[in-house]
Amino acid sequence: MSAAPSPGESARRDALVQMYHVSKSYLPGTFALRDVTLEVAKGEFVFLTGPSGAGKTTLLKLLFAAEKPSEGQIILRGRNIARLRDSAIPGLRRRIGVVFQDFKLLANRTVEENVAVTLEVLGRPPREVRRRVFALLKQVGLQHRRHHFPLSLSGGEQQRVALARALAGEPELLLADEPTGNLDPELTLEIMDLIAHASVRGTTVIVATHDLPTVDRYGKRTLHLEAGRIKEDRAAVGVRP
Amino acid sequence: MSRAGAHLRYFARTSLRGLRASPVTAAVGISTIGIALVLVGAFSLLLTNMEGLLDRFGDDLRVTAYLESGLPVAERAALARRVATIEGVLEVDVVSEDEALARFREGVGRASGLLAELEENPLPASLEITLAERRRTPEGMRVVVESLDGLPGVSDLAYGQEWVEGYARAVALVRGIGAGVGLVLALATLAIVANTIRLAVYARRDELEILSLVGASRPFAATPFLVEGALQGAVGGALAVVILYGLFRLILPEIEAGLSMLLGFAEPRFLTPGGVLRLIGAGAGLGLAGSAAAVFQGLRA
Ligand SMILES: Nc1ncnc2c1ncn2[C@@H]1O[C@H](COP(=O)(O)OP(=O)(O)OP(=O)(O)O)[C@@H](O)[C@H]1O
Ligand SMILES: [Mg+2]
Repeated sequence: MSAAPSPGESARRDALVQMYHVSKSYLPGTFALRDVTLEVAKGEFVFLTGPSGAGKTTLLKLLFAAEKPSEGQIILRGRNIARLRDSAIPGLRRRIGVVFQDFKLLANRTVEENVAVTLEVLGRPPREVRRRVFALLKQVGLQHRRHHFPLSLSGGEQQRVALARALAGEPELLLADEPTGNLDPELTLEIMDLIAHASVRGTTVIVATHDLPTVDRYGKRTLHLEAGRIKEDRAAVGVRP
Repeated sequence: MSRAGAHLRYFARTSLRGLRASPVTAAVGISTIGIALVLVGAFSLLLTNMEGLLDRFGDDLRVTAYLESGLPVAERAALARRVATIEGVLEVDVVSEDEALARFREGVGRASGLLAELEENPLPASLEITLAERRRTPEGMRVVVESLDGLPGVSDLAYGQEWVEGYARAVALVRGIGAGVGLVLALATLAIVANTIRLAVYARRDELEILSLVGASRPFAATPFLVEGALQGAVGGALAVVILYGLFRLILPEIEAGLSMLLGFAEPRFLTPGGVLRLIGAGAGLGLAGSAAAVFQGLRA
């Protein structure tokens, strides 16, 4: 099965992410990603699955320019980011939200301040920052915890804060690397529902996960990686490939 | 509020929060800079005082032009006026024969009994010529002496050539050592400060990571650290001034007696207000440079 988009497909839906023959090798002679070609449409929700070491994290890192591809082209919104200048990386990241398994919250800042960082970097005025942070925390059901510190929150709550931070700048692309890896099934559902909700509102979402029951439950398009190659590109339930 | 205004508020708030969040690290940074600047400041105090001393010696550097005997008083005055217009001459004093003798007696003191028998004053009248500060070098003095040589009415010239050379050497030595030691101290301080701040930055690398993740540019992420570094440095500089002043007051009574015995006119000076500001400014500069080195290294990693 090929992951390459047919011309008809690109015409049908606007692509947000396009990768052409992308390879990444951290060490000479080994490949974390190998000849990956794929396309993700605007507003699409995609799961990225595969065994440990398959290259899921690497693929996400290429998309938010934490790593550069060794070969191939990566087009984001029509712009080639494969050879991005360092000075252009911040601009790219302001349009992308990222969530990690370990939350990456600042322990010495309140929930509110953690979420506000995104908006402060965007230079939004303080009043707008406060208003928007409150709305975001309300969205993830944590407005009453806004003055607490992250470590006094449960794992699920911390991930909700991280998600609020990632969504604060209204990114067009949300990348999540095993966002529920540290959470029990009930909290997993809660977080995945919030992510799915962001997707419904128009954000393109790519979620890397080991959690196959969750993948099955949502029935979204799934890219299966093995040893750095795309082994399967399964269309969302009810969508003809 | 403008975007720049929002950013400024963010920088101010984040820097202060950084200082408050890690008071121990801040205290270490401040005292490192403070101690280093006490060394620099003590050295510059020593230097200013030595230079002050040399300046006072310099004030005593004079050229004496002995006058032909029998020169009428009016002509002496005219000659003095003429000498005063020579380039590099600061001041001209006319010393009459009687004054010269009086001074001589005073200088010889008890032995003056010997002179009591003199029937006639053997000392000539003279012009005492004080040089402008920039002429207090061997070459400077030579230029002035050459213009004096051969002036009608002047019989002889006396100027301590060796004196001047010694003085000029001493000034050059003090300045040279000052510049050398100052440079070494400044570099050592910079290295220590950069290292201290590097630790502080390392302790907060998660903050830099997240800022970079949400799309902060390097200057944006670095600015609060730079502001913090500069603030710590300025406080360290102020601390150094306070410590130095304390030491100055403490040590002064101990050495004042010895100094005045040695030099007679020595009056130790503390740093001028300008010197105090420079020390605080140097602290801010060191803090800024140290944190810049540390942060940009941290951001690259
Ligand atoms: N910084 C790095 N330096 C060297 N090799 C790396 C680096 N990061 C990843 N790799 C290697 O690249 C391959 C893919 O790693 P990657 O982290 O993308 O896998 P993954 O699918 O995210 O795995 P997991 O499910 O365990 O998170 C692995 O073999 C890994 O050892
Ligand atoms: Mg991974």
